Amino acid sequence: MLPPQQIPQHPKGQALPVPSSLFPNRLFAVTAIENPPSSPSIADAAARTVDACKVYGAGDTLVNALDHVTVEFERGRFTAIMGPSGSGKSTLMHCVAGLDTLTSGQIFIGDVDLSSLNERQLTRLRRDTIGFVFQSFNLVPTLTAAENITLPMDLAGTSPDAAWVDTIVSTVNLGDRLKHRPSELSGGQQQRVAVARALASKPSIVFADEPTGNLDSRSGGEILKFMRTAVDEFAQSIVMVTHDPVAASYADRVVFLADGRVVDEILNPTAEAVLERQLRFGV
Amino acid sequence: MLKVTLRGLLAHKVRLIATGVAVILGVAFMAGTQVLTSSISASFDKIFSDVYSSIDVVVRSSNEVETPFGSQRDRISDTVLPTVQAVSGVDAAEGQVFGQIRVLGRDNKPLVSGNGPPNFLLNWLTSPSLNGWTIVDGTTPTGPDQVVLDAKSAKDGPFAVGDTVSILVTKGVQQFRVVGVAKFGKLDTWGGAQAALFDTLTAQQLVGQPGTFDWISVSGDSGVSQTTLTERVAAVTPAGTEAITGAEFTSENQDAFQKIIGIFNTFLLVFALIALFVGSFIIYNTFSIIVAQRTKELALLRALGASRRQVLSSVLLEAFAVGLVASFVGVGLGVLLAMGLNALMKSIGFSGPDTPIIIPASAVISSVVVGTLITLASAILPARRAASIAPIAAMRDVAVESTGASRRRVIIGAAMLLGGAVSLWFGLYGNSDSALQLVGFGAFLVFMGFTVIGPVIAAPMARALGWPMARFGGVSSRIARENAMRNPKRTATTASALMIGVGLVGFISVTAQSLKVSLVEAIDTSVTAEYVITTDSFGATALPLTLTDQITALPEVKVAAAVGAGFATIDGKAKVVLGTDPAALQQVVAITDVSGSFADLSDSGIAIPKTMASDKHLSVGDTLAVSFLQGGPSQLTIESIYDTRFPIQGPGYFINAQLFAQVTPPDQQTAQSIYVGLNDTSDAGIAEARQPLEQLVSSVPGAKLQSIKEFTKAQTDQANQFLVIVYVLLALALIIAIIGVINTLLLSVYERTRELGLLRAVGMSRRQVRASIRAESVIISLIGTIIGLGIGLVFGWALVQALYDQGITSFAVPWAQLIIIVLIAALAGVGAALYPARRAARLDVLRAISSE
Repeated sequence: MLPPQQIPQHPKGQALPVPSSLFPNRLFAVTAIENPPSSPSIADAAARTVDACKVYGAGDTLVNALDHVTVEFERGRFTAIMGPSGSGKSTLMHCVAGLDTLTSGQIFIGDVDLSSLNERQLTRLRRDTIGFVFQSFNLVPTLTAAENITLPMDLAGTSPDAAWVDTIVSTVNLGDRLKHRPSELSGGQQQRVAVARALASKPSIVFADEPTGNLDSRSGGEILKFMRTAVDEFAQSIVMVTHDPVAASYADRVVFLADGRVVDEILNPTAEAVLERQLRFGV
Repeated sequence: MLKVTLRGLLAHKVRLIATGVAVILGVAFMAGTQVLTSSISASFDKIFSDVYSSIDVVVRSSNEVETPFGSQRDRISDTVLPTVQAVSGVDAAEGQVFGQIRVLGRDNKPLVSGNGPPNFLLNWLTSPSLNGWTIVDGTTPTGPDQVVLDAKSAKDGPFAVGDTVSILVTKGVQQFRVVGVAKFGKLDTWGGAQAALFDTLTAQQLVGQPGTFDWISVSGDSGVSQTTLTERVAAVTPAGTEAITGAEFTSENQDAFQKIIGIFNTFLLVFALIALFVGSFIIYNTFSIIVAQRTKELALLRALGASRRQVLSSVLLEAFAVGLVASFVGVGLGVLLAMGLNALMKSIGFSGPDTPIIIPASAVISSVVVGTLITLASAILPARRAASIAPIAAMRDVAVESTGASRRRVIIGAAMLLGGAVSLWFGLYGNSDSALQLVGFGAFLVFMGFTVIGPVIAAPMARALGWPMARFGGVSSRIARENAMRNPKRTATTASALMIGVGLVGFISVTAQSLKVSLVEAIDTSVTAEYVITTDSFGATALPLTLTDQITALPEVKVAAAVGAGFATIDGKAKVVLGTDPAALQQVVAITDVSGSFADLSDSGIAIPKTMASDKHLSVGDTLAVSFLQGGPSQLTIESIYDTRFPIQGPGYFINAQLFAQVTPPDQQTAQSIYVGLNDTSDAGIAEARQPLEQLVSSVPGAKLQSIKEFTKAQTDQANQFLVIVYVLLALALIIAIIGVINTLLLSVYERTRELGLLRAVGMSRRQVRASIRAESVIISLIGTIIGLGIGLVFGWALVQALYDQGITSFAVPWAQLIIIVLIAALAGVGAALYPARRAARLDVLRAISSE
């Protein structure tokens, strides 16, 4: 099993050190934790897709990367997307995160229909309401860890909530590395900075693309625990793409994709159960 | 390995474009200059050989004086002619009269401007074998009021047979009747020069020396060689004359012209080399970046067994190929440039001869060799760096370029700066014959020194310059500042290219400003005349001496002092000698006696300036060996050592007007300027005097009446005109430097694809991406500009100090101009960032973050 959590625990139900008005999904999230719904409803979705299709190429080389996908990612929950290479999991995440566009269908972040946004509005949406953690190259090499963490707010020209940033920083255990540049940090530390950045702007949803793919299992485990903590303690909504059953076991729910379609899902997964499903879908 | 090189070339062709452009522009300038000057000089060579083709022997005076405009000879007596004609084998011999005039158009203005081609006076030769002119309309000139014009002058006038034409000769404007129009061979005139032909007697009178010829042209019987005939003629001609072959005479004339065009050629080539020098920084930078980006690929090659030598030669081969191709393209562009300039010169009225463009092999070879060598040389360091990549680097993550702030770098850079300063000091203050080369070499060393030290100072400078942006401009400016600092070597090299161009611009503007201020001060403090009369011409067609008398006779005028210029050999060197009425001049220009008396200069005396006296350890009573065209005394006594601030470069040798009239040819007895002092020097008096003065002055074509204020302005305007020409020539170096900035930014954007993708993903807007690249560009441009201006200021200051004795007594900095240069540099930075910023902003976010 995994080592016990090493980060300071927040007592359940303790008020967050921020006014709730600045963190609109918190109130809801707290409720969600207290009364976990058995099945997600549309009103609970941090993001959802409706009949999402993504087609690459044409004619003989036509590929249906997403084939009428309708899926929801609940608020305050940790969802993992799994599937074999070419199953469309990355495409799905990129589209939901506003980095890519659909061929047809709709995507909502909260109540916002992404297809109605132009490039500038999409950029603003990414900046203000979405957090990102990539597999690698998450940080701007010329900025310090602290500057990287506040980057989205700096880009928006808003001042970061210092108390909140402190909380995040102490949660991911980075206190003494803040003045360092990415090149002076280990891979695990870099990913922790990336997670801190993703959380710092209080996004309504965080997308993580194989966040532990480049890390050893110990560092990877730490990252996953931070993300779990963010969901549990701060009611953060997280969507993570992974191919690692152990990583997926940290999620509340695993959605399986194959050939551009949602083929299955597991609630409260264990690594064994995920592995078993994976084998079943022929990965 | 060759295959790898060629594949590499193809793969990086976009990145090599800037290198190519830098080489192409520099080489085009170089080749264009050579093609144009060769073409012009070839066409003039042809003119001279056409004009003198029928001449087998020339008999002329052996009394020669060198002048800055070529050598001048005394005229010879016409009594020599019968002697020459009697020599056996002589078919025809005729005396040639040759002088300078200005034919006036119907508006009474000279047909040819002061800066235009010469306008000659010739006598009509009667023997068909010697006279290249043929009458196409009317008759030959006979009589004192008759003239034949060349077809071009007739067309420009326009004048027809029977018309009256005004011509400015040494004594003033005279009227003549056009009796004929002539062509030279098939051409309207000789090259660009225009001509007026008179009968021999009239021509001799107009140049003021009846009974003399400039030379005697001889054509021989067929079967007698030029050399044989020349020997026979030489045997009978009197002392003081010499006989040379027609071929020698032609090549002398050609050489004299070649010398002038050669100076022009060298002047332009200097700027071409500056452009190529600046280009070498771009080449160096491109190859450095390409090598850094290909570290893994090169390391893999090494791991697979490629030797260091193979890697080295692979990069050098790439440079060679790019250099060679770009040089050939550059030569092609240069030829087009020469053609364009040739056409442009024609269309703006520079009426030179018909100049067919010739492409000398030497121009092609030298341009290609220089272009290719510069590319190769600039790629040597990057190639060596490539060769030193360890095979293990293939397994490592992307190698980080070194910061370049090493102690060795500082020491080498400082040594170069010191060497440059020493070389400059010796060039400016030493009495070396190769002062110019020393100064050039010193400047080169200083620029290179700053280039070497550049990476050390680039980061702190970027930090300082970027501070206001980062402070007030938000995160994109902060990122821009960090980006400018992250690779100090790259930033420094890019900025260095700009530094050179801006440094030279700064240097020239500081020097010019100091010159202008000194000039104004000199005129303010030393010229007490109220009016100055100048001319756009010189020699025979400058201001007639009669004008001075007429002006002196005006009731408003207290004194008018004319200054004429002639040539003499003094102590074995060619010098300009000024002739004036010393007492009169002293009343209108502050000339103070240091020793002796300027005003009392006698017919056998000469006055020299204070600086010359102390340089050559001369004092009043010493004698100088002199030789004038018209004979006269062979030595003159120094009777006055004087001091004056005007003209600023020091007026030099003065003799009095009587001696001047005795020793210079009559057609050089004119004034270059006349200084007029008035009786009533109140504003009203000055205004009142203008009308009568103007009336007299307007009768002399090319003459200009200027109040002292206008005169001052005209003098500084001249400096400004020169400044504009130099700026235009330096523009190419600046353009190449800006291309370098574009190139560096493009390569950096390419390198930072993932980073930009990340920034875009986390919410940086396109506008912010563009702003960031722009800010980085502005920072780089400002670094180059500010170092450049600093160097320019110091160079300017050093030169001004060195020229104190030459009359540049004030050091002045054109602050407004320098601030404008900084603003232009910032704007150029913004402009250079346009395309790279667009590329960066257009980046496909998804591709950027998912590409490995």
